[in-house]
Amino acid sequence: MPYPVVDAHRLIGPIPFDDLPEDPRPDMARLGIGRAYVTHSLSLHSDARAGNEALLALDDPRLVPVPVLLPDPPGPRWSGAGPTGAGWSGAGPTGAGPFGCEAGRDVPMVRLCPARHRFDLTGPSALRALAALGVPAALDLDETTPAQLLALARELPGQRVLLLNPGYRRLRAIAELMAALPNLWLEIGTVNTQRGVEWLARRFGAERLVFGTGAPVMDDCGPRFLLDHLDLPEADIALIASGGGLL
Amino acid sequence: MILDAHGHLGPWPDFLIPDQSAEGMVALMDRLGVDAVGISHLVAVGAGAEEGNRLAFAAAERHPGRFGVWQVYNPHQRNPLAASGVWGVKLHPDVHRCALDDPRYDPVWELGLPVLAHGQTDSPWSDPERFVTVARRHPQVPLLLGHAGLWPHGFARAAALVRDHPNVHLEICGSRMTGRWVARLAAAIGADRVVYGSDACFLDLRIGFGRVALAPLTDADRALVLGGNLARVLRAAGVLPEGHLP
Repeated sequence: MPYPVVDAHRLIGPIPFDDLPEDPRPDMARLGIGRAYVTHSLSLHSDARAGNEALLALDDPRLVPVPVLLPDPPGPRWSGAGPTGAGWSGAGPTGAGPFGCEAGRDVPMVRLCPARHRFDLTGPSALRALAALGVPAALDLDETTPAQLLALARELPGQRVLLLNPGYRRLRAIAELMAALPNLWLEIGTVNTQRGVEWLARRFGAERLVFGTGAPVMDDCGPRFLLDHLDLPEADIALIASGGGLL
Repeated sequence: MILDAHGHLGPWPDFLIPDQSAEGMVALMDRLGVDAVGISHLVAVGAGAEEGNRLAFAAAERHPGRFGVWQVYNPHQRNPLAASGVWGVKLHPDVHRCALDDPRYDPVWELGLPVLAHGQTDSPWSDPERFVTVARRHPQVPLLLGHAGLWPHGFARAAALVRDHPNVHLEICGSRMTGRWVARLAAAIGADRVVYGSDACFLDLRIGFGRVALAPLTDADRALVLGGNLARVLRAAGVLPEGHLP
C-alpha cells in the first residue's frame, strides 16, 4: 500500500544485552519504513546525557530524535515550547538543560523512564519539566501504571502521552485508559493478539493508534507485515502508519 | 506449502483475545495463503483436556484440511489420546506443572506421535535441557521445542542444546521472537531445523507469519521454515500423507 510509514519507537546505539545493529537505517530501508522516532540506547541503559548528546548530533531527516528526559537537571530551566515543539533558548553557565546536555535543536517528543531511572512520574520535578516542554511524552507501560497515568492527566490535562510496549495481555486495562484519557495514544507494535489492533481501532478510532516497533530489541518484521494487512479502511491504515493523530 | 505448527482456538482466562474463533482464523489463513494450522484448544491447555480436545476436533471437522489437531495431554487428568487423525500431541509443562521429562508423560512417548511442547528457558518445567533429556530417551519421537525457549536470552542456547538431536526442531512463535532471531536460528542450527508457528489466536496470525515473511532469510530457507520442514516431519510420522493436507 502506497502510504508513508513512520516508526514511532526505535532505538539507535549499542544494546548491552544482545548483538543488535546500532544503526536503524538499513532495517528501516529493507522494511519500507521511511522515518523513525529514535531514542539513543545509551540514554536508556547508561548515561542519559551522553545518549541525548549523541542523539541530538544526528543530522538525518529519517531519524527524529526523542531524547530521554530526567527531571530537575542542574542549570537554568527550559524556556518553553515553540511552534514546532520545545526548544532550548539558551544555556546558563553550566550548559545543561532538561536532557542533561546543551540541546541545540527542537524535539517533538521526549522519552520517560520513571521506573528505570527512579523518579516519580507525577512528582513535582517531572510535572514541572513536562509542563515546561509542552511536547508529547513516550513511555513504556511497564515504566508506569494505569493509576499513575490517570494521576498525570489530572495534574497536566493537556499532556499528550504515547504509551509504548503495551503488550497484548492488558487490552482491558488499556481500553479503560484510552476511554478515560483523550490525550493518550497507543503504540501498536506489541498489540499482537488476534485482531487486537482492529478491536482497539473500532473502539477508539485509528487516530489514537500509532505504528511503532521498539526495534531492534523488539520485532519489526511482524508488526510491519501486520500494518499492511490490517482489516481496516485504507485511510485508517495510512493514519496509523503516519503516527495517528499524534505525530 | 505453508504450514503453521502452533495455533490455538478458544479463550484464555489471563487476558482478552478479541477473536478466538476458527472462522476468524480461517479467514486470515485464506488471506495470507496459509494452508493449514496445527491447533490445540485453549480449553484443553487449561482446565479441561478432554473437552478442549473435543472442541479442537470439532473445529477441524468444520474446516476440513485447514486444521491439524495437536491433542493436549494433561498428566493429571490422564485423558485418552487418539492414535490417528491428529498431527500429534501438545504438552504444556508450565500450565500443567509437570516437567517435560516426568514419567507421567510416558503414555505420550509410547504413542510415538509428533509432540509440540511449550518450551521456556529457565523454567523448572520446560527448559530446553528437558527436551534434550526426552530426545535422548525417545529418539524416535519428533519433538517441536515450542517458542524456541521463549526468551531472547535463551534462543541461542536452545539451538545449541538441540543441535545434535535431529528429532528436535525449534518452533519459533512467541511475542519476544524477532525476524532477526529467526534468521539467526536458521544460521545456527540449519534452516531445516526451524519450524514456523504463529501462536494464533493467542497471538495474531499475521504477526507470526509476517515475522518469517519479512525475516532476512533466503527464499529457499524461508520455504523450509514456513512449511517444508513441518511437512517432512509430519509425513515421516505418517500423519500427513504425501500430497494430502489433514
